[in-house]
Amino acid sequence: MHRIKEIYKWLEARLQLEGPLKDAALHPVPRNTASWWYVFGSAAFTLLFLQIVTGILLALVYVPSAGEAWSSLNVLNHQLELGWFLRAMHGWGSNFMVAVVLVHMAQVFMFGSYKYPRELTWVLGVFLLLMTLGMAFTGQVLRFDQDAYWGLGIGASITSRIPIVGGSLVHLLLGGPIIAGATLSRFFALHVFVVPGSMLLFASLHVWMVLKLGINEWPMPGRIVRRSTYLQEYHDLTHKEGAPFVPVAFWKDVIFSGAVIAAVAVCAFVFGPYGPSGQPDPNIVQTVPKPDFFFLWIYAALAYLPPSMETPFILIAPVIGIAILLGLPFYASEGEKSWYRRPVAVIVLCTVAISWGVLTHLATFTPWSPHMNAWSGDPVPPRYLHDATPLVRQGAVVFQSKQCRNCHAVGGVGGQRGPTLDSIATRMTEDQMIRQVLQGGGNMPAYGKNLPPPEVTALVTFLETLHPPNEPPAVDGSQKEVQTSQIVASSGSKK
Amino acid sequence: MMPPPILVSAACVFILLLSGCNDAPGYPKTSAEVLRPQDQLSFDILYRQNCSACHGADGQNGAAIDLGNPEYQALVDDRSLRKWISGGMPGTQMPAFAISMGGTLTDSQIDAIVLGMRNTWSQRAVLGGRNAPPYAQDQKGDALRGKEQYNTDCASCHRASKQQVTSPDYLALVSDQALRSIIIAGRPDIGHPDWRGDKPGSPLSAQDVTDIVAYLGSSRSATPGQPYRRDR
Ligand code: HEC
Ligand code: HEC
Repeated sequence: MHRIKEIYKWLEARLQLEGPLKDAALHPVPRNTASWWYVFGSAAFTLLFLQIVTGILLALVYVPSAGEAWSSLNVLNHQLELGWFLRAMHGWGSNFMVAVVLVHMAQVFMFGSYKYPRELTWVLGVFLLLMTLGMAFTGQVLRFDQDAYWGLGIGASITSRIPIVGGSLVHLLLGGPIIAGATLSRFFALHVFVVPGSMLLFASLHVWMVLKLGINEWPMPGRIVRRSTYLQEYHDLTHKEGAPFVPVAFWKDVIFSGAVIAAVAVCAFVFGPYGPSGQPDPNIVQTVPKPDFFFLWIYAALAYLPPSMETPFILIAPVIGIAILLGLPFYASEGEKSWYRRPVAVIVLCTVAISWGVLTHLATFTPWSPHMNAWSGDPVPPRYLHDATPLVRQGAVVFQSKQCRNCHAVGGVGGQRGPTLDSIATRMTEDQMIRQVLQGGGNMPAYGKNLPPPEVTALVTFLETLHPPNEPPAVDGSQKEVQTSQIVASSGSKK
Repeated sequence: MMPPPILVSAACVFILLLSGCNDAPGYPKTSAEVLRPQDQLSFDILYRQNCSACHGADGQNGAAIDLGNPEYQALVDDRSLRKWISGGMPGTQMPAFAISMGGTLTDSQIDAIVLGMRNTWSQRAVLGGRNAPPYAQDQKGDALRGKEQYNTDCASCHRASKQQVTSPDYLALVSDQALRSIIIAGRPDIGHPDWRGDKPGSPLSAQDVTDIVAYLGSSRSATPGQPYRRDR
């Protein structure tokens, strides 16, 4: 024991860290900031360290070469003890990190923390968010499977749309004109050195400022931030009724960070690592690549934009978005912090959150793209066939063989590009269906040239059976009229 | 807070527990290791992705013939199976699957499907030792005799206008061979009897089957599929 004390003294005499660390730990914070709302920043920092540790361990095995990256991940998954768990921790850690950073940002925005004198803290935070997203994207590329390959392809083609410098930027990004070994080396360097290095630097400055400027006090309606008085008010708040950061507020940070790490571990254990999905070979076209979770919304937004809007959206929207984020603390550096008095802020946050959620949800089942395997891989529900006639059964075959199923679901399975057809007979009469099949319309192609009459007849006979048992199919009133008049006419002529 | 020794040993126990179980729910499945599509040789996967839509999830209750019917498997020979799967079945909606015919399956994948069907669905002696009519037609058919035969053997069930097997619209979409397979092997999944079950006690002969198919063939129309037919 005595020995250890000696060594400590020797070190402390040279490092002199005790004073600053004590100051940092014991600095007074406003008492009501010892709240569960103030734990997200420290959790993000903890996750950053989890990512660094798991990332270093992964880098010991990972081979950043186009030929071997994919197989080295499979080695990790299957050949190395707990390699799969390590990959899963890093993958889920990344997801949690993006989520926690976003929540942290939303909380800081709602609490008006970006106002004077914490503008620069916010600005660094915006860059940290961008870097976190950058890490998520470059990490997805390092997985170097089909999703990575096509994700990169899309990233490159987005970049190529930048006027004038686009081409050279793509060259810079990919390390050549195509996605190849040099691309992976480049992304490895970005993901392992460049971005994490800057992130550590930015995050340290960010935390430094939080310590120096003090944690944002709990906003009270009517307590207005003014440049001239704020510092004094904050000083009074912390020194008259404040409490030392450790332990009054600190224990909540510790518990929450621990809980987040535990949640990452549980997700890793239960859901396992991400991929790798198929090999990154552009010759394999039977693939439906999807971006990782936090980029799904972009995928959906791009799918829904009319083509003419794509380039402006891709190139201008991010610039405007980032400019707004960076400009916010300068535009609104004084005034109310409380959400009770900032209706616009509340509405903006809700709108962004809801739009993001909706787009992400849509992108999980991509209703806009056909399911290319539905025609041969999604069985027609047996209940539609069991009491059917042979012609109806043939109609169901035509429905599959002409690939209607790729865009139209029945029984909850199939493409969602067009409407679901489970009750189509209640919505369209036979004639309307024939016309729709032959002439198309409403984004559906015309099949007139590709379907001979018996196929149309069988198909429509099948569709005519698709209605709930207690709801009769739609009929064309005039057709009935014609039929009865024909019966009347023929019975008349018999006489 | 927990004293560090407890924390450390808890972590160790956790890791030990983990390393014990490669059957953790998150452990990546070996099958999830994605093959190139053309290296896929598992019958279950090939059948599910390529055939189940029309032929039913387990080879039955689908829109097209129930490949899972053991009697059908006993009836048909490997060469015919391979022929239909590679090149499609002319006169029906059965598509061609061989790469050389514009499909997506390699020859070894088609072999894997044929072998898989045999292993999964074949049963021994389902034809009951009786001489079933051969799979392929080997005689000339007589449509007139076939019509009589149809009226005695089939009409009992198929008289109702709902069972339109004689409707030209239906016949335009099925080939003679498809009809023949169904008549001989039956479709147990939808309640159609095999060649012995039409009239219990007097199974159809090869000639009967051929004649009935010839009769159904003669009922085809040159202009099938006209709308507003009263007989539908
Ligand atoms: C688009 C629908 C469709 C798909 C997909 C499909 N088939 Fe078919 N198949 C048919 C139709 C229709 C017939 C004609 C027989 C009938 O309708 O009863 C048929 C007939 C066959 C026959 C011959 C039956 C006989 O009479 O001897 C075989 C064998 C066969 N299919 C195997 C397969 C296999 C194996 C696959 C998957 C690789 C497959 N089919 C996929 C529709 C399909
Ligand atoms: C015991 C009653 C019964 C007899 C006898 C019978 N069938 Fe059927 N058949 C059915 C039933 C039930 C179905 C399925 C329901 C339907 O398609 O109408 C069916 C369906 C069919 C189908 C359509 C199969 C498909 O895949 O859609 C054909 C073709 C057929 N029968 C032909 C015949 C012929 C030819 C005969 C005489 C040799 C015959 N049936 C005798 C009951 C019978």
